[in-house]
Amino acid sequence: MPDYTLTANTPLNGFSRDFPGVSINEVNDRAIVSIVAPRDGEKELIKALKKSYDIELPNAGVLSVSAQDNAVLFCMAQDQYFLMFDYTGNTATTVVHSYLNDTAYLTDQSDSYVMIRVSGANSRCLLERICPLDIHPTAFPVRAVARTIMEHLGTTIIHEGDDNFLLLSARSSAYSFLEAIETSAKNTS
Amino acid sequence: MSQINRIDGGLLDRTQKLNFTFNGQTLEGFAGDTLASALLANGHKMVGRSFKYHRPRGIFSAGSEEPNALVQLRSGAYQEPNTRATITELFQGLEATSQNHRGSLKYDFMAVNDLFSSFLSAGFYYKTFMWPKAFWEKFYEPVIRAAAGLGRLSGQDDPDIYDKSFLHCDVLVVGAGPSGLSAALSAGRAGARVILMDEDFRMGGRLNAETLSVNDQSGYEWATQAIAELSAMDNVRLMTRTTAYGAYDHGIVGALERVTDHLVSSNNKPRQILWRVYTKRTILCAGSTERPIAFGNNDRPGIMLAGAVRAYVNRWGALPGKRVAVFTNNDDGWRTATDLAVKGVEITAVIDSRDGQPPVAVPNGAAVVMGGRIVDTQGRHGIKSITLSNGQKIPTDCLAVSGGWSPNVQLTCHQRGRPTWREDIAAFVPGGELPLGMMVAGAAAGNLSLSSVLQDGHNLGNKALSDLGFKPTTETAAKSDEETVGISAFWHVKESKARAWLDLQNDVTVKDVKLSHQEGFRAVEHLKRYTTLGMATDQGKTANIPALAVMAECTGKSIPETGTTIFRPPYTPVAIGALAGRARGKDFRPSRLTPSHSWAEEQGAVFVEAGMWYRAQWFPKAGETHWRQSVDREVTQTRASVGVCDVTTLGKIDIQGKDAAEFLNKVYANAFAKLPVGKVRYGIMLREDGIMMDDGTSARFAENHFVMTTTTANAVGVFRHMEFCRQCLWPNMDVHLISSTEQYAQFAVAGPNARKLLQKIVDRNHDISNEAFPFMACGEVTVCGGIPARLFRISFSGELAYEIAVPTRYGDSLVRTLMAAGEEFDVTAYGTEALGVMRIEKGHAAGNELNGQTTAQDLGMGRMVSKKKDCIGNTLSERENLNRKDGLSLVGFRPVNRSDELKAGSHFIAKGKSAEMVNDEGWMSSVAYSPSLGHSIGLGFIKQGSERLGEIVRATDPIREGEIEVEIVSAHFIDPEGERLRA
Repeated sequence: MPDYTLTANTPLNGFSRDFPGVSINEVNDRAIVSIVAPRDGEKELIKALKKSYDIELPNAGVLSVSAQDNAVLFCMAQDQYFLMFDYTGNTATTVVHSYLNDTAYLTDQSDSYVMIRVSGANSRCLLERICPLDIHPTAFPVRAVARTIMEHLGTTIIHEGDDNFLLLSARSSAYSFLEAIETSAKNTS
Repeated sequence: MSQINRIDGGLLDRTQKLNFTFNGQTLEGFAGDTLASALLANGHKMVGRSFKYHRPRGIFSAGSEEPNALVQLRSGAYQEPNTRATITELFQGLEATSQNHRGSLKYDFMAVNDLFSSFLSAGFYYKTFMWPKAFWEKFYEPVIRAAAGLGRLSGQDDPDIYDKSFLHCDVLVVGAGPSGLSAALSAGRAGARVILMDEDFRMGGRLNAETLSVNDQSGYEWATQAIAELSAMDNVRLMTRTTAYGAYDHGIVGALERVTDHLVSSNNKPRQILWRVYTKRTILCAGSTERPIAFGNNDRPGIMLAGAVRAYVNRWGALPGKRVAVFTNNDDGWRTATDLAVKGVEITAVIDSRDGQPPVAVPNGAAVVMGGRIVDTQGRHGIKSITLSNGQKIPTDCLAVSGGWSPNVQLTCHQRGRPTWREDIAAFVPGGELPLGMMVAGAAAGNLSLSSVLQDGHNLGNKALSDLGFKPTTETAAKSDEETVGISAFWHVKESKARAWLDLQNDVTVKDVKLSHQEGFRAVEHLKRYTTLGMATDQGKTANIPALAVMAECTGKSIPETGTTIFRPPYTPVAIGALAGRARGKDFRPSRLTPSHSWAEEQGAVFVEAGMWYRAQWFPKAGETHWRQSVDREVTQTRASVGVCDVTTLGKIDIQGKDAAEFLNKVYANAFAKLPVGKVRYGIMLREDGIMMDDGTSARFAENHFVMTTTTANAVGVFRHMEFCRQCLWPNMDVHLISSTEQYAQFAVAGPNARKLLQKIVDRNHDISNEAFPFMACGEVTVCGGIPARLFRISFSGELAYEIAVPTRYGDSLVRTLMAAGEEFDVTAYGTEALGVMRIEKGHAAGNELNGQTTAQDLGMGRMVSKKKDCIGNTLSERENLNRKDGLSLVGFRPVNRSDELKAGSHFIAKGKSAEMVNDEGWMSSVAYSPSLGHSIGLGFIKQGSERLGEIVRATDPIREGEIEVEIVSAHFIDPEGERLRA
């Protein structure tokens, strides 16, 4: 037994709160790994993804969804993808590497983000207070994903399901981000 | 007596009586009233005093164009000045007071100004008060400002909250009058996402105020049906109490929703919301604004726009007067006479400036004067009679004036669009260049008859649908009777000898405009600035065109040749609070917290803002009464044993790829290609112009994997720069960058016992002895039983030191563990102040030294700019002037008198020379009190500094009036040989 042990905390210590018509919940059971194909190595990565997760490399703005670890893959930049999957351990890249081997450069981003789920009938009403994007289902259907700015904070928004949005923002400003969401909930409820 | 001027009819809910106060007097109105309509119903004609002359003023209009009826609403911190009574929705308990008077509204002491009006003409303050010069700022200006002006702010913090939000739609319809409703119906029925907004609390626009019929029913009944149909559509959003105040780039429209202004309390909800509307098409259905005719004493309470008089009677059942006269130059003015006559109101006279026959039947008993002119009016606190040019005096208690209607083109001009003149309606209409995606329908486009307005809105709704790929429905436009809309331009009565007002809000008269022209202010923009015409809350909505016409007369040009001033947002006033939204106080911007923030708070740390980060500055202990005591202790304890500092804020960039080493070789000035795995190297980055950009370290964890650290301040800038290099300069390289600043909690562990402390938490299978893990080593380790960590043996303090990084989730736990494990070494936490002291003692450059104007050469790192390879900034760093022998160099300074305190920003002057720029030899960039040395020390740049060690110069500080002698010394005050950090 080591003399000392470290205890993990989540960016918002498991925040969860309901407002009329909308729930705000911190998500803390998902890992994020950045995936980049080496130069001229995209074909190998595509093959590995197909074989392991049974998904394609997605176009910008849409999720690829896998049954494996409930993983979703989305494009974050011209040649960069984020794989988000069920995992709470410390070595998320090891998990992904076990599937993809050396077909991609992997970087753990699990601790870089706070993940907040905004769900419920009033979720769009809440988000229109802070989200500059058009998230009406006709413009931003389920499985759509986009990067934007909310209250000065870089945010990735994922339309997970009907009236169900997952927001990713930087961990260090998690409380400011939460305050923006909570204030929106108070102002719209 | 209550509501003495209330008559039957109107769109009021008479079952809901509402009590309100005006100047402390309790009055009564009904739900559906505005403050203006309720005041009129209660017989209040006079509601304020004018801006400059303090003349009695009454309600002039029935909308947002109101220049006169500005009141103060609410009280205490909630007090809001300059609110237009004409658009203030009445609510139970509303408190209103008149403004801009000393003494009571009726007996205003400052009304004496009017007696001196001949001395107070346009621009009087430019010509007088010249002597004595010092009096202008101290006496004249404060007195003038106190005498003029409008309402008063509360002087307290605004207790209301505001919000800013986003909306998206296919079609935005601005204005819910007949054209807006038609357009929204067309677009909505076809399935487009439609937003219909209107500044009024009741949609329908002029249909609520007119007696014209639509589809064989009253206009407001048709409007009510249309609104009900639109309300039932999921794809249509109706927004009342919402003003589109600005048209911006890319088709974005700014709108202000007054959410709770009509309620007695906001109940902690936003009072107003500022909406940014992203729309593919905007159909502007903003209607038109009636304008007055200028004649002698045309500003008395009871003199109103004719359409407004009609609106108060038809919509609100409120009589502005019982004996009404009409003065018009167009057919629409006659409608006021006929509508009021139907309601049983006595029409004393209709004076039409046009010759010929009356366009409609004359109301019973009304005197008709075709080709007539009003030259003067009488009545101190309200109009009592009018005098015609033929000398005839006609008693009246309300004069309805119509000089025609001006389309509300403002939003079409917000991106420099110029309106064009239409002679047939004597008005400007939208010009050819409209904001992106904007179309204009109805009266705003110059179509002034109801039938044309309905058709126009319908057509443009369909046009928007076609543009966007929707299929219009087969529904046709609603129909209405044709009415006559003839007009003959007539702007002011030249025969009037008394002052004739053009701009009621700013007390600008015809004479003022003529004076402006006489004095050479002939361009319309100059006219505006000289006279203040068209400024303030109404932005000259009723005044601009008549004033332009007078100016045109003076210059001998036509009105279109004279032009208009530029319309800029906002269309109507927007509270600063609404523009700020939530960004107030602590919410002004987001804050970033370090992983140890909670722990530091528990220790009572004093925080400092570093960008958005909150960093612990120092950690006061019991008995410490001054920050220096805490900082000195932290430095001393760290140098004596061990200290811990959160350095998570440093930028961290993960670099992977087969070309990662070569990439770093290009972005750093010094070589990185051959850095062994498991080693860290200090690196400097140059800008393209050869100036120092940033410094930091890069650690090689694998052949193709580096981790770079940057300064906190430049974390984003360096990442952006490197992405630019990767994507644009060397796109063929196999290299990938991603920020890992947030991913890792990183702590500096410094001091002679740093290793011993770390050995207590690093798992035993990792050897971190000096031999196995020497200075500038790095590696992946595990701590506390398997938690992955990165360990770097680097030192900013000059001590034996490490930086240890763990996934951020463990950051809070790690700092607590380090402090607990370090108890036996008397470990201390240290903040940014102690960090700064120790780096100055060691002679390390930081942001003060990398200030964007210094080079590697200046910093004594010239030799690090490798000439064996190319790098960004290499070539331009070789410029002759950046490599002068007498150039600056970074050295240390200490006071000759050790008790003197050094000051950053001081400039160095050689002994015996005067303290002026020509003798300036450099500056002090960083200073600190060194507890290790017991005196003040500093770093600074001085010409040929490295060759002048031991020389005494003067550090002068003219701004703070100080000068001391300092000795030039090595920048390395502590451990110049680096023995400690290699220990």
